[in-house]
Amino acid sequence: MKTNYRYMKNFIFTLIISFVAVSLIRCTEYPIDEDGLLITGRADCYISNFELLGSDHQIVRSGAAAIDTTELTVDVLVLYGTDLKNLYPQFTLAQDAKLDPKVVGKVDFSDLDNPKQYTVVSGNRKVRKTYTVNVSVQQKQ
Amino acid sequence: MRIKYGSLLLLLGLVFVFAACDDEDYNVPEGVRNLTNDCIKRSLGPNVVGNEIAFAYAMALPPDLGNLSSVRVEASIAGASGTYLEHRSFYTHNGGIVPSTGEVREGGADIGIVVGAPSVTNGKVTEVTFVKDTCAATLRYYYVIPETAKGQSVTFQFSATASNGQSVSYNMGPYEVGKIEMKREIVLTNNSYFSISDFEVYDETQAAANPDKIDLVYLYRTPFAGINFGHALVSPGADSEFLPGVTLPQGVNNQTYIRKDSGSRDQHLARDRYGIFVDDVDLYEIDLSTQPFYSIGLQNESGAWIETADGKYRAYLYVNLVDNAAGTMTVSVKRLLIE
Repeated sequence: MKTNYRYMKNFIFTLIISFVAVSLIRCTEYPIDEDGLLITGRADCYISNFELLGSDHQIVRSGAAAIDTTELTVDVLVLYGTDLKNLYPQFTLAQDAKLDPKVVGKVDFSDLDNPKQYTVVSGNRKVRKTYTVNVSVQQKQ
Repeated sequence: MRIKYGSLLLLLGLVFVFAACDDEDYNVPEGVRNLTNDCIKRSLGPNVVGNEIAFAYAMALPPDLGNLSSVRVEASIAGASGTYLEHRSFYTHNGGIVPSTGEVREGGADIGIVVGAPSVTNGKVTEVTFVKDTCAATLRYYYVIPETAKGQSVTFQFSATASNGQSVSYNMGPYEVGKIEMKREIVLTNNSYFSISDFEVYDETQAAANPDKIDLVYLYRTPFAGINFGHALVSPGADSEFLPGVTLPQGVNNQTYIRKDSGSRDQHLARDRYGIFVDDVDLYEIDLSTQPFYSIGLQNESGAWIETADGKYRAYLYVNLVDNAAGTMTVSVKRLLIE
């Protein structure tokens, strides 16, 4: 009976220690940011692909977007007649990175003198790179 | 101990077996001994003037009590021309030879058997008189929504009578009819002018005589100057860059908002394809104030949301067919008068 009691005590003690250890690991290794996204150890911070959709959610770019990760620019040529006031940009980012500001709907790209800027924030939330998206419209030759 | 438990278990099993084996008298339930009826609405989507609301009305009575005599449908608002009640009762064919016609049909085919005289419609009432001795039938009713029903609700009373004097009835509705108006398969020819307010296509001379009515110019241009213009709807008041080769008649200058949309393929306009319906509320709520005055590169099955320059009408236009060789575009349009 005495032996059983000792075993039980040891078992509960081990359980508590394990629980505390797991909790600590969870809190230190996988924190969550203000958007509820996982903060990881990744420092990668770049745009890997860029897409632009029109009001009918069809692709409006003419050719691939040129992404310069050194100059931090995205240059995209859109089809003749594209309505720049009602476009839906789509960004593909480095793993675990996020975009600021978030894209939540249509975006007005019509002010060509003041191109839109988007900041990529790395997975560890320590690196921020601001890209400028330059949109130009295909012209008659 | 183990043996005792075994015996108890065996005893319990026997009790269950004997209890389960008790014979119970079973009598086949008696069928309904009178004329009965049922009805379903077959058509889906919003109710639009000019469109049909379809029903299937079923009625039956035991054969020894007599036959069906007549069927009658009364609508609360008289249907438009084309409203009728089928005089055939349909069944789903299993495949092979159809006994009534002798022709070979695939399985699943809808086969109609004539059971009555063609329907007669008089105002709100449509009737079929049975000519075959039948005690069960399902007749389809097609109600063409009239202009007078726009914005109102409509109800239906289906009724059947049998040769033994019995009668039954079934009420359906009310069904709200939208204020949307619709016109299908409008053929636009190259450089023609289109009016949302009257659904008419005008040539240059007619447009000059009705400048206020012209909301859109239809253009088809083969690739030029390195761009693909294709089939386009352009407001007369748009930048002249988007009206290549067009000299607008005097006074034709409305600025109509257009938003291209390839996802809202309306089933009414696309003739029973797709599962989307553009309804009154869609046109009431859409904001087109930031949209351009043109839409180029329209293709088959694409569409556009439109608001006239005076804000009086909003519309959804569906492209049924573009014909590059003929330079034409066939469109179907739903419009709503914004009050």
